[in-house]
Amino acid sequence: MQIVSGGVTDVGRVRTNNEDSFRVLENLNLFILSDGMGGEAHGEVASSMAVETIAKYCTEKDESTDETGVTLTGTEADHWTPETKRLRNAVFQANFNIYQSAQKHPEQRGMGATLTSGWINGSKLSIAHVGDSRAYLLRTGSLQQLTNDHSLVAEQVRRGILTPQQAEESEMQSVLLRALGAHPEVDVDVEEVDLMPRDVLLFCSDGLTRMVTEPEIAGCLQAETVPMAAAQKLVDLANERGGLDNVTVIVARVEDESKGWFSWLRRDSGKKA
Amino acid sequence: MAKLSLMFENKLMKEVPIGSRPVTIGRSPDNDLPVDNLAVSNHHARVYFEGGRLVVEDLDSLNGTFVNDLRVERATLHDGDSIWIGKHHIKVDATADTALPFDSGRKTVAPKINETMVLDTKVRRDMLQQAAAMGERSQFSPTRVKMPTLVILHGKVDQKEYVLTNKLTVIGSSPMATIRLRGWFKPKVAAQINQRDDGYYLGTGSKIPLVNGAPIQGPVRLNDGDLIEVSGIRMNFVFRE
Repeated sequence: MQIVSGGVTDVGRVRTNNEDSFRVLENLNLFILSDGMGGEAHGEVASSMAVETIAKYCTEKDESTDETGVTLTGTEADHWTPETKRLRNAVFQANFNIYQSAQKHPEQRGMGATLTSGWINGSKLSIAHVGDSRAYLLRTGSLQQLTNDHSLVAEQVRRGILTPQQAEESEMQSVLLRALGAHPEVDVDVEEVDLMPRDVLLFCSDGLTRMVTEPEIAGCLQAETVPMAAAQKLVDLANERGGLDNVTVIVARVEDESKGWFSWLRRDSGKKA
Repeated sequence: MAKLSLMFENKLMKEVPIGSRPVTIGRSPDNDLPVDNLAVSNHHARVYFEGGRLVVEDLDSLNGTFVNDLRVERATLHDGDSIWIGKHHIKVDATADTALPFDSGRKTVAPKINETMVLDTKVRRDMLQQAAAMGERSQFSPTRVKMPTLVILHGKVDQKEYVLTNKLTVIGSSPMATIRLRGWFKPKVAAQINQRDDGYYLGTGSKIPLVNGAPIQGPVRLNDGDLIEVSGIRMNFVFRE
């Protein structure tokens, strides 16, 4: 599948440092986004460490090599593609690296990061996710959330204690139940989704979703078909609304495969000309 | 926020929210809900949160406290209950009896609310336990596991029933669709269902589905028993035990 993508990050209108990190590896169709936390500049350290570790693991790691010191938790499903398993292991590795760094450097204690990543191979999208950044899929005009937030309020919504509206108004929104770097082991949510032509993927930090509503996001992604421009528009919109937090947006679009039944005719005529 | 409404002959006399402090009821004017009637004791009863539940306690009143016709010393209150004291009654609105118990915990776990933070294991366990106690009666509580299921009533598909296990369920003719439509001219994606934090949402595909006979405007949350019609298929969304 032909994928076009683009990503933008911005410090926002209130904060002085940007703790978000992202990487778009176009050759692999790998998208990684992380929102760091922790005092001083350590949120940035954690999020860039998360992103770099995963990028490196997925590009270089020889599958036969054993990871050292990394505990794999949870069960691997047999039906997962090798890339899905690898992406999940990369997140384990990133968690371990951040945790270990914080143990070694006392000033980094308490640093952590969210991690939302997607890897497209053929028509299969693999998602590995920890924290409250999000992945969305826009298909035939419907925006669908591919990840669950690992925040206290989201857990309360899942248990039927809070309504989504109450969760949005809660002062507890920033309390996470899971993040990279907090413990030597972490639970990673894994999802596989079959993509179709014209699907649009969105990865974003909570700086977007707390400022811009989902119908607005869907509208923006439909109106602006150039991924980089769509990402920039969403960041601008979050800033117009106050830009209370760092905001990072990655947009990836699956291109139409065929140009119709007569595409071979056009290709032929192209050759002659 | 949970609240109590003091009623006299269907007339609203006073409304008070229930916070971390007990709400007191009685004839004496120092009560949160003063009830001016000789049948009511000076300090008659009180209502408060205990372990995430709302509780009414009779304070040895002369004429007693009744919850829905039953005389009680102490009882757990539910949303919509009525507490009868003399000729007055107090309606219980506990629809949002939830955020409050966290008031006390908030100071200790979230010193800077704008800073993102991760709960350490113990605080997290405590909070989730508290949350679980409150969520016992709810549809999504872990004690009652119900599988969301689509039961096909009419139309050409490959199964009679589909249990929704993925974040995303596609209804259409696409080979990637879970609910695979058969026949000519069926759309690749007719509609799709997204599992979200608070339930299952039906969204449009290249068709606009009907839920209980009405076309959907945007993603709608499905309720137990909803009738869905799209692309010649008629099905029921149900939660199965």
